[in-house]
Amino acid sequence: MSFIQVWVEALRAMMANPMRTTLTMLGIVIGIASVVLMIAIGDGIKLFISKQLAVLGSNLVLVQADSRKSAGARLRTGTVQTLTQDDAAAINNLPTVLAAAPVLSTFSQVSFGNDNSNNQVQGTTPATFALRNLRLAKGIGLSDVDIASAARVAVLGKKVAEQLFYKTEPINQRIRIDNQSFQVIGVLDNEGQSVGIGDIGEVIFVPLSTARVTLIRTQTPRSVQYVLAQSKTAESLKEMVADISDLLRDRHRIRADDADDFNVVNFGEFAKAGEAIATGLSIALGFIGAVSLVVGGIGIMNIMLVSVTERTREIGIRMAIGARPSDVLWQFLIEAVSICLVSGVIGIAISAGLAAAVTASGKFDMAIGLKAIVIATVFSCAVGVFFGFYPARRASMLQPVECLRHD
Amino acid sequence: MSANLSDPISAPLVKLTAVRKSYFSNRVETPVLHGIDFTMAHGDFVAIMGQSGSGKSTLMNILGCLDTPTSGQHELGGQAVNKLSRAELAGLRNRTLGFVFQSFNLLKRMSVLDNVALPLLYASVPRAEARKRAAVQLAKVGLSAFAQRQPNQLSGGQQQRVAIARALVADPPLILADEPTGNLDTRTSVDILTTLTALNKQRGQSIILVTHEPKIAAYAKRLFRLKDGLVLYDGPAREGLLQLQNESQADSMNDSVATGRGAS
Repeated sequence: MSFIQVWVEALRAMMANPMRTTLTMLGIVIGIASVVLMIAIGDGIKLFISKQLAVLGSNLVLVQADSRKSAGARLRTGTVQTLTQDDAAAINNLPTVLAAAPVLSTFSQVSFGNDNSNNQVQGTTPATFALRNLRLAKGIGLSDVDIASAARVAVLGKKVAEQLFYKTEPINQRIRIDNQSFQVIGVLDNEGQSVGIGDIGEVIFVPLSTARVTLIRTQTPRSVQYVLAQSKTAESLKEMVADISDLLRDRHRIRADDADDFNVVNFGEFAKAGEAIATGLSIALGFIGAVSLVVGGIGIMNIMLVSVTERTREIGIRMAIGARPSDVLWQFLIEAVSICLVSGVIGIAISAGLAAAVTASGKFDMAIGLKAIVIATVFSCAVGVFFGFYPARRASMLQPVECLRHD
Repeated sequence: MSANLSDPISAPLVKLTAVRKSYFSNRVETPVLHGIDFTMAHGDFVAIMGQSGSGKSTLMNILGCLDTPTSGQHELGGQAVNKLSRAELAGLRNRTLGFVFQSFNLLKRMSVLDNVALPLLYASVPRAEARKRAAVQLAKVGLSAFAQRQPNQLSGGQQQRVAIARALVADPPLILADEPTGNLDTRTSVDILTTLTALNKQRGQSIILVTHEPKIAAYAKRLFRLKDGLVLYDGPAREGLLQLQNESQADSMNDSVATGRGAS
């Protein structure tokens, strides 16, 4: 008997008892939907993390000034400002470091015309733009000349620009930061979080030298709050952290038995933790999905066994007119697989609908990829084969004489 | 006729040699057939008769390759049936036999046309071709108009004619009809038997008909009577039925004598 014919008969058998078939399918539908959603959520979280990471800048560490502890006495934090822009320059020269940028930051009142707001202002160097993957929507970024000349120029975050200028062209306008006049030279395109900043859209970047002169008075003339450093590769990140540590201990003349006066925050670790959470969540959801699939599969097996018993006479007739045991086996197996496949398709549709709804809400991107669809389809077929085989085999083992005697 | 059969013309169509069949339940043997010899040539029309318990259903199942003898030889179309696997038996049934059952045994949920086409589908005939041939066969039994109906929308006689069409569609050398008129009224029964007789006469279709009614058996050429698992009569139908009539008359006379005695 041809394959198409077997499918036709399987569908016919499914239609014969629509209510029963629907109820049987429910377990598989839920199972497949949860498996697909699990994959979508897992992928969504990973995508979210990698997006965040791209905004943060990848392979980044943040070197912060810490309080110094000498001979058992911890000195007040903030009073000792051992981390300097010279440290940043030295870090920048390390072979494992791609780039390093010193940062001084403060919150200042920013105004343009009648509008004003309170924003974070960061004094930094041009290297920041590459480190943080900053893109300019308009204008230009900070340059070395701006640093050297302590130019009163500012690059605005997207939201700051929108807030202050609304529809006015911001470039070349003069804004006031803590009552000091700055010329807007660029507007950023980035959104989301960035290392040590929070929302990148609400930040104003100015040259480090300008910030030091006009906005942030530090006790020691060259100290900075932190240094951002980027390793050349993801693999060399750990090595870079060690290098920076050695370099700074050496530069700060810290004795072997004294603690660091700085600390290094590795954002790659946060990302890893995030991915671990995503994986954990995927496994938990996957487990629920798997349990549901097994329960659904048992339902299928149960219904197929009932179906074989109910159709014993039909099996006998088919065998009498020439159905081989393998024909009977295939008939029932394909029927079980069809139920599972249709359930799988419905499950995929339901999860796609849910994912679309979640994505539309704007909180979280969930996409049903080809991978999820393929996995769901393979899974549903596998459930059908696994749980359909025993009833199908039982049907194929029946003796035609006994089947024909059956009512 | 199938090319797989070794020498279909010269060999007898069916040959049973010393066939015994016992059923076992809880290791207790219940013998049903005590050594049956039966040979059938191509083109013959045999009626198998016997009271219930005589073993005629068991014999029918063996002849239909649905059951295997406990001992003895069974040949169908010159091929020994005993050694075949279940799949080979299915193939043999498909090519060599056409079944007509008492309860019609059409498949529900399937159109009349698809029912008739089913043996061809199991013989791996393509779907379109199978339906075409089924339609031709359905026309021969005069039911073309009902091709797309479901079997349960047809009368008993019509259903049995569909079953005959299904039995004939793959052009098997032998038709096995097991009480084909058991569920039908007299007029429809005559109709069905006329159809079978015509097939035998016009096409030389070999037919085995199982029945317990002498009137039905009278349509056959040859009578094969069973009693308690043994052959009681094997010969021309006319003589056999006459003999049967005499026996039953004798029986009823004995009965009346017995009751007469009991009354006095």
